Amino acid sequence: MAFSATTYAERATGRSAESQPEVAAEPLAGADAAGSPILEVIDATHVYDGIVALDNVTVTAAAGEFLTILGESGSGKTTLLRLISGLEKPYRIGALRLGGVDVSSVPAFQRNCTTVFQHYALFPHMTVGENVEYGLKVRGVKPSARRGRALEALRLVRLDEKYDRRIHQLSGGERQRVALARALVPRPAILLLDEPIGALDEKLRVDMQVELKEIHMRLGMTFVYITHSQEEALTMSDRIILMSRGRIVQEGPPAEIFDHPANRFVASFMGVEHLLDAELLAIEGAMATCRVGPATLVGKWSGTERPAAGAEVVVGVRAERLHLADEAPEGVNMLPCRLGSAIYKGKYLDRTADAAIGDLKIRLWDSHHTSENEAIAWWKHQDCMVMSA
Amino acid sequence: MIAASARTRSHTRLAAIAARLSPARLSVPTFLAAWVFFVILPLLVIVVFSFFQVRSYRLVYELSFDTWQSLIESGRWMIALRTLRVAVTMTVIELLLAFPFALWLAKGCRSKSAKAVIITLLTIPFFLDAASRIIIWRAILGTNGMINTALMASGLVDQPVSWLLYSEFAVHFGMLGTSFPTMVFPIFIIISLIDDSYLAASDDLGASPVQTLIYVTLPMALPGILAGIIFTFVPLMAAYIEPQLLGGGFVDLLGNSVDSALQQLRYPMAAALSTVVVALLGLCLTAFTLLTRNRLDLSTIFSTLRQ
Repeated sequence: MAFSATTYAERATGRSAESQPEVAAEPLAGADAAGSPILEVIDATHVYDGIVALDNVTVTAAAGEFLTILGESGSGKTTLLRLISGLEKPYRIGALRLGGVDVSSVPAFQRNCTTVFQHYALFPHMTVGENVEYGLKVRGVKPSARRGRALEALRLVRLDEKYDRRIHQLSGGERQRVALARALVPRPAILLLDEPIGALDEKLRVDMQVELKEIHMRLGMTFVYITHSQEEALTMSDRIILMSRGRIVQEGPPAEIFDHPANRFVASFMGVEHLLDAELLAIEGAMATCRVGPATLVGKWSGTERPAAGAEVVVGVRAERLHLADEAPEGVNMLPCRLGSAIYKGKYLDRTADAAIGDLKIRLWDSHHTSENEAIAWWKHQDCMVMSA
Repeated sequence: MIAASARTRSHTRLAAIAARLSPARLSVPTFLAAWVFFVILPLLVIVVFSFFQVRSYRLVYELSFDTWQSLIESGRWMIALRTLRVAVTMTVIELLLAFPFALWLAKGCRSKSAKAVIITLLTIPFFLDAASRIIIWRAILGTNGMINTALMASGLVDQPVSWLLYSEFAVHFGMLGTSFPTMVFPIFIIISLIDDSYLAASDDLGASPVQTLIYVTLPMALPGILAGIIFTFVPLMAAYIEPQLLGGGFVDLLGNSVDSALQQLRYPMAAALSTVVVALLGLCLTAFTLLTRNRLDLSTIFSTLRQ
């Protein structure tokens, strides 16, 4: 595998002159050799039939980065991807640079990036091999060389034995991997992936996450990955950009987005179960004190700017960070509550509880817990997030 | 024991007969029977008729080769060749005109209302009587027609251009509008069915628009192109209105020859000419099928159009 990795990695940095002469011939000012972003989308705005799909979005990616654009359908993430690939012409854009070269007026077929499409879009009238070789055939590569490079890419996705098969003879997972091989073969500077594993079943999805991550590390290529699944984003990415209604809501490494959501939308998207409207009482250092109904809670401030006391904020805590006890330890947030039903989930138990500030869901990993009716729900200040509304 | 097994055997035999009579099994024989009765039988009657004779306007049921002999001796077989030439020429012209148009209509035309209007306009040749539509061209192409009047008035020519009407040009010209929709529709439908993501994928992988056309659009549109060729070519082989109205007796094609033979009550001649049409069509379609068979697996192409 090592040999294929070097050839792909070489291309991934955009240094070879073969398929992207513009890059080598005409490096623009500001594109330093080291550390300059391989992808820069500056101030992109796009409108479909009067609906704003992208609202002044700026995105950059470093060479070799695994960047995930996360968002619900309609958030503008696919539009952003199609702007990068050139399949969509932006309504207005400051600049769109690939490897330091402005490509905003370069047609899609001349851009040095390829896409793995959501439904793969494998050509039904061609064999697996012909599909994978397509990017080379249109560049005028000789059949013998084509075959070698196609087999190399198919080996990377463990499908070199299916070279002569027709597309309709493949399973969903195999089609997904052929689509990946086809996009890798022209050795693009950036690989764009549009929800590539969304159509696969659960087990296959988990396997493909691992496989994609491995291929990314082996090739060192820049991946821009689109998904609506926070789980996929967290497992694979170096950096996540969360989008909503055509705007970037928050961006950062997975751990930062997971543990420090900037506002209610991010927190709820990242699966924080309890989000409570609160009034900020004081903010000191990293910690914020706020009032939720009758209770006073302390947590880490994770919003962007620091508001003044009295501002409306949101307090968030995850179900698995809540504990149940008869007596709470010192220096924690606590709420007396009345225990409700329990839902057995196999690995854990979800217990509902009725507290003064509303219903709580408490995830218990050891099922032999207190079964009394009255209990105290408590959680550490470190596990409590206070964010913008 | 023996009686029981005999009973089972007769029971299974009954079940076998019942299974053979089920609707699913009967559908193919029913179709074949209907097709033979409505299509093959009349054809056979036509072939047989060509071996009868007409004496003093009465059909004489006596076998003879007179009709066929006169067909060959009078040089009327040339009509068959001319018909073939005209039909092939027109099919090629229509294909060259219709493919870009269908491609634009299916993928290039963004306005839904414009598309609807164009499709409606294309059906006009189907709901207007062919003769009344085509006879208009006489007033336009004739020596005193619009074009010649305009040419003379502008001083470009000092004598009317005579080959505009009652010529092969006029016949071809008249066929242009009639045969266009039959070529456009199948191609338009198949290109509409090609998912945009295939074209996007080709573009994305580095194919220029021309390469996408050659490697993706054309192969995927092939079933529609073949259907368009057949739907256009077959009626052209039997065309009779255009040669009759615009040929002015100078352009005899099989279609109008059959028509005039029928009007002169020369049924065997009409039957013989019709036999030639059918035989030529059969030959052409067989050759066409053999030519395209290896390049095209219709069943798989259609099955993969839906994703």
